Amino acid sequence: MSVTINTKINGQSVTAVAEASTSLLEFLRDTLEMKGSKLCCNTGECGACTVIYNGKPINSCVTMAADANGAEIVTVEGLADGNNLHPVQQAFIDTGAVQCGYCTPGFIMSVKALLDHTKKPTPADIEDAISGNICRCTGYNKIVDAIHLAADRMAGRA
Amino acid sequence: MAKAELKIIGSSPARLGGVERVVGKGVYGIDLMLKDQLHGAILRSQYAHAKIVSIDTSEAKKIPGVHAVVTAEDAPNVRYGRSYIDRHILARGKVRFMGDPVAAVAAESPAIARQALKKIKVVYEPLPVVIDPEEATKADAPVLHDDMPLPKTIPADSGMKNVCGHAVVKVGDAEKAMAEADVVVEEVYETKMIHPQYLEPRIAAAQMEPNGRLTVWANAQAPFPVRQETAKTLGLPLNNVRVISAGLGGGFGGKGSGITSGAAVEPICGLLAIKAKRPVMIVLDKAEETISTTIRAGAKMYIKTGVKKDGTILARTGKVFYDAGGYSGFGVQAGGRCTNMLGGWYLMPNCHIDGYSVYTNKQVCGPVRGPGGPQAAFAVESHMDSIAAKLGMDPTEFRLKNMPKAGDKIVGVPKLRDVSLGETIKIAKEKIGWGKVKLEKNQGIGIATGSWIESAGPGGGSIVKVNEDGSVTVHIGKIDMGTIPGFGIPLIVAEELGIPVSDVTVVNVDTDASPWDAGTVGSRGILVSGGATRLAAIDARNQIFKMAARKLEASPDDLEIIDKQIRVKGTPTKSVPLATVATDAHNVIGEVIGRGYCDNLELMAEEKAHGSSQPFTTHACIVEVSPDTGNVKILKYVAVHDIGQPIHRAAAEGQIEGAAAMSIGQALCEQVVFDQDGRTMNPSFVDYLMPTINMMPRIETTLVEGFPGSGPYGAKGAGEIACVPPMACIANAIFNATGVRINKLPLSPENVLRGLKEAGKA
Repeated sequence: MSVTINTKINGQSVTAVAEASTSLLEFLRDTLEMKGSKLCCNTGECGACTVIYNGKPINSCVTMAADANGAEIVTVEGLADGNNLHPVQQAFIDTGAVQCGYCTPGFIMSVKALLDHTKKPTPADIEDAISGNICRCTGYNKIVDAIHLAADRMAGRA
Repeated sequence: MAKAELKIIGSSPARLGGVERVVGKGVYGIDLMLKDQLHGAILRSQYAHAKIVSIDTSEAKKIPGVHAVVTAEDAPNVRYGRSYIDRHILARGKVRFMGDPVAAVAAESPAIARQALKKIKVVYEPLPVVIDPEEATKADAPVLHDDMPLPKTIPADSGMKNVCGHAVVKVGDAEKAMAEADVVVEEVYETKMIHPQYLEPRIAAAQMEPNGRLTVWANAQAPFPVRQETAKTLGLPLNNVRVISAGLGGGFGGKGSGITSGAAVEPICGLLAIKAKRPVMIVLDKAEETISTTIRAGAKMYIKTGVKKDGTILARTGKVFYDAGGYSGFGVQAGGRCTNMLGGWYLMPNCHIDGYSVYTNKQVCGPVRGPGGPQAAFAVESHMDSIAAKLGMDPTEFRLKNMPKAGDKIVGVPKLRDVSLGETIKIAKEKIGWGKVKLEKNQGIGIATGSWIESAGPGGGSIVKVNEDGSVTVHIGKIDMGTIPGFGIPLIVAEELGIPVSDVTVVNVDTDASPWDAGTVGSRGILVSGGATRLAAIDARNQIFKMAARKLEASPDDLEIIDKQIRVKGTPTKSVPLATVATDAHNVIGEVIGRGYCDNLELMAEEKAHGSSQPFTTHACIVEVSPDTGNVKILKYVAVHDIGQPIHRAAAEGQIEGAAAMSIGQALCEQVVFDQDGRTMNPSFVDYLMPTINMMPRIETTLVEGFPGSGPYGAKGAGEIACVPPMACIANAIFNATGVRINKLPLSPENVLRGLKEAGKA
């Protein structure tokens, strides 16, 4: 059975038809050919597929595409303003937090969701925000550094 | 080159390829979409050990949308392997672990492909299963490979079975020296299988070209070995196979070493593309990855050491049973390394260890991050603390008492050039507050050291092409998975050619264009491609200086390049832009093409003459152990590493921190769990626990400089060594906190609580 999905992705209205069983991640990657959100565990455990759904970070692999109907979705493709990277994207590059980079889009979306609401996150805030994202490359040091750097830049402290 | 002269080496500029990764461009293998591609899927064995009686694919072939169904019969009867050539790309006659590929299909959609797999009828005759590597060597064990002989070093009347590798360490007379020891400590340690769990699943894509060539896209760490093995198993000449590196989302050795690590997903995909006459792409799902691709094997290690009362080590004996899995894979090499490292990296005048790599009905051992090393170090460094406790010595004093110095030999290394081990211990003690920090109830402090191999191994080349505007394009054989193409290589070129890092492009590996390379494995990126690129850049610079010297009417020896200008030293006004010389090269030599090689024979000769410059490390930590739950929380963790001259500092730190995190995961929670039938009980991330931010301490990394290695500028490899100490480091801290020695990984709440209960402490 197919369903028609009317949604807003990165500020653009999108209408597309997909199988009812399609996950939001499959809808983004396969139907819309937006490859920024990453497929990994497909069970909502690793966070590589994180997108912002009506302001909140979610695992798109365990969300139905049909749930995007009428929702506002932000993906990693929607953060940069032309050639100007979002401060979170820039901070991940500047601190060396992008090793293989496969987990990076998911982390960036979780961190953006955090910093949209929290100007000076505590270590506990950071732990909460990225506890659903797995990175196998960094040991998390440089990711935490990136979050602090991004927060400082966004609040004008750096 | 003296350190003071380095301009950019050792700094941390932005990684090449960073922007496309943070904005979500499809740079990875999984993001590929070939025009008209079919979806490939693989049928895997549901038995850990069985004869294949028959395979009937007729129903599957009838399904609309199915374009090819293949079994072993569709491929040449050719086996692949590294030491023992013991494996077909699709199982032929027998399956040897659950997950062994049996058949494959190509279909219009993933759903049709899955449906077709269900319609393939395989009749199996189940055989007895053996899971434990020591049990598998015994007379009553089922034999996995009837036609594979025992290694020649094992006597025919030994009664051993299923052994595919035998490594022997023999130094002095260990049995005699053991008899003269004041104190003898004998223990058994065991580690479990972990999966490398790179986040990007394995993929392969393949298409036949109009000219009859096969193009394969692989997110593999070793594109050239993939080409060689794909050509061999499909019966194609090498020049008719082209392998292009699709970007990698992690590898950690799990995607290393050719198709032996990929469970042959590349030739299977190629076979489907040939049969279907359409492009085919295979994407493994994560659970399929976890049961079928290569892993860090478990090892059972018997270790016995004799020491004098003053702490001098006299002798070590031991035995290793290293789990190769259903096929030999990388098990022979990793088991050999584990056996060698069980001899430790301290002075060891007498040593006798036998190591066996053993077939079991489990998935296959790969070259996962430090193959053999982390397992051995768990035993060696836990054992060192057990000995120190028996002697009543401080564990660090005991280690320093047996410290090798320059010119000494250690097991596996005939002569050391310089030894930073003691220095790393000293710094780690300071950083953790050894003997000073006040520990609360249930807290403990632990230390463990490590080493890793350097130098000898395959060579490799580099091509540095200088473009008309002075920018540079580099071809090497190593792929980018957060490793040197994005980090170290641009710095080396920038250092030698006086251009900004952002003017350097490193081309993705394409076997049609890139220099041959054994793969991005073995911590050898800097040594091989880094060393070769430095020489290639110098070669390019020499060509540039020769041409510029004519223009500037100066000797080439008097020139330098600074900020993209070639200048006469001491007369900066006498200069010509690099771009001008590079453009004018069209009318001279055509193009500036620098070439360089990492010459393995030269490295070995250098080592023989002056000794080997090993990287060494010491980790230290403070933990808190809950006597109620057995939970271990790491409160502080320091990692002190000698990696020689860091090239890209942040990348080197990142390698160390990531490697430490992987072994901290193995220490505390990670393992692939099997039932007695050889079924994986935890194939998904729901059950396979790995470190998240919640359980990770901040790893406090210190790089010790002043012990140059044999890489460019004195660099040493950094990708694996931090995997070596963490398990013993944490086990030693638990021992310090509780007095209980846990000999079996993981140090999970369940195992720790059991240990505490057995000791009457919980």
